[in-house]
Amino acid sequence: MRRLALASLGLLLLALPWLVPRYFVFLANLIVVNAIVAIGLNLLSGYTNQLSFGHAGFLAIGAYFAALLTIHAPGVPVPLTILAAGVSTAAVGVALGVPCLRLEGLYLTMATLAFGYVVSEAILNLDWLTRGADGLRVPVAGLGPWRLATDVARYYLVLAVAVLMVLAARNLVSTRTGRAFLAIRESQIAAQAGGIHVAAYKTIAFAVSAFYTGVAGGLFAFVVGYLSPDAFDVFLSVDFVAMIIIGGLGSVPGSIIGAAVITVLHDWLAAFQNYRPLIFGAILIAGMLFMPGGIARALRVSLTRGGGV
Amino acid sequence: MTTATLVHVVVSGLATGCIYALMAISLVIIYNATRTLNFAQGEMLMISAFLAWASYHAFRLPLLVAMLVAVTASAVLALLIERAIIRHSIAATHFDVLIITLGLSLMLRAGAGIVWTHDEFPFPSFFSDRPIPLGPVRIAPGSLGIIGASLGLMAALYLLFTYTRFGRAMRAVAQNQRAARLMGISVERVYSGSWVLASVVGAVAGVLIAPVIFLSSKMGLIVINGFTAAVLGGFGSLPGAVLGGMLLGVLENLAPLYLPTGIKYSVPFLLLIGILMLRPSGLLGRSLQRKV
Repeated sequence: MRRLALASLGLLLLALPWLVPRYFVFLANLIVVNAIVAIGLNLLSGYTNQLSFGHAGFLAIGAYFAALLTIHAPGVPVPLTILAAGVSTAAVGVALGVPCLRLEGLYLTMATLAFGYVVSEAILNLDWLTRGADGLRVPVAGLGPWRLATDVARYYLVLAVAVLMVLAARNLVSTRTGRAFLAIRESQIAAQAGGIHVAAYKTIAFAVSAFYTGVAGGLFAFVVGYLSPDAFDVFLSVDFVAMIIIGGLGSVPGSIIGAAVITVLHDWLAAFQNYRPLIFGAILIAGMLFMPGGIARALRVSLTRGGGV
Repeated sequence: MTTATLVHVVVSGLATGCIYALMAISLVIIYNATRTLNFAQGEMLMISAFLAWASYHAFRLPLLVAMLVAVTASAVLALLIERAIIRHSIAATHFDVLIITLGLSLMLRAGAGIVWTHDEFPFPSFFSDRPIPLGPVRIAPGSLGIIGASLGLMAALYLLFTYTRFGRAMRAVAQNQRAARLMGISVERVYSGSWVLASVVGAVAGVLIAPVIFLSSKMGLIVINGFTAAVLGGFGSLPGAVLGGMLLGVLENLAPLYLPTGIKYSVPFLLLIGILMLRPSGLLGRSLQRKV
């Protein structure tokens, strides 16, 4: 039953570009990219309880890294570019994560918020490299002889990377590392008393989370084709947090659902720019008050009540 | 650079610093009572400044009356928010409440944008623009006014916390909630009271700073400076909040004199990261021992 469902979902995802209009392919690309960020953020915030408001900064680093690499070294195949974007962002994640080890709760949140702000200011001011406020046009990604010039081509790239990332995340959370993350979330002191090296695992969580977001950033650069610092503001970080809250803290499928819901909502509300934050704020509050485990837990509860699948 | 410029920069830094200090105090008041951070504090300040401005223009109220209207309105707003939303999450973790207040801040800012647009408006000031010469130094009356009003409010708060029943109840709840409850203090009433008090302090800060930075839906971002000030002084300590606010204000004004001008807006963030890395407990804060 479960296998059948997964197989049909896989087929549906593969056939999607041929079933829907072109614009929805672009939207699907955005959803998948955001889902990778949401999974990364969830590993840090949902699993390890280190709430970050700076993931737009990580996304920006990944995106600019991939864009600049493609501009200056056009021959590099796109999977390598994206891997490099992920690794370099992970390095930044470690650089931020290590000094943040002694911070908790509010302090960590504010430090990551400040980090996100400093990144967008840095992009704005390093205009010899990033072209500052003018923005940066990202060249078309190349994979050997092919050029990924259409949304459909990019869809398959994004989807392939996302499938790998989802599988990796699912594996990670069911290993020793994932259990250590959960133990740290429940109680740092108890985790430490249980023999878990809290500092090491928190750093790993930061690095993995930044890696995911950096990879997503690399994909984002190619999907959108144009980067400017104001796209990576604090409100984007807030959107990412909203995704994992709505989808479900500490749940990989929840992250994907949350990313889809928030991205589609953004698209629907594009015509009502002024009302968007109003609705988002209301959703955040309602989600916290009435659905603390997000959609993932609500679904699980209703499925088990209905006899389960 | 002459001494006169330096004095001028420091005084205007102290004036901004007073606003940051008031902002930090209002964050700390709520934090001490409920152990949560009110992300929407800046937006609540923005709403009350807008209300003052709107009543000043719509009903031609005298400036002082308009400000009293704003302060009262902010108290009512805080009470409503606390009773309608925050009270339901009393058992929730600080993480949940942080997200809730974040949602609130998004809503308040969007609401202000819908009602008053996202433009900037000039805000009337009590103080004239003509600088007062003090020997060789010229000082803007606006700065002196802000410093005077803020110090007055801080003194009033000191008296409130030291000599009134309510102030003592707040300090008791901050120290140990369970013990306070056993002594017959209504912790719920202290929660509401803290929200109202914090909002009033924020509203005063709002009407004081609005003439300087213009009135706009963006002015709520000042909450970040307030938080930086509170962390700088040691989060949870009221004298620390005052000290941190003043320091931040002066540093922010001095930095562009020695560093590239673009740095001014990054100062609070860089300082926040720096202080969190080096001394997370702040200047006057004590590090906490935690239990499982």
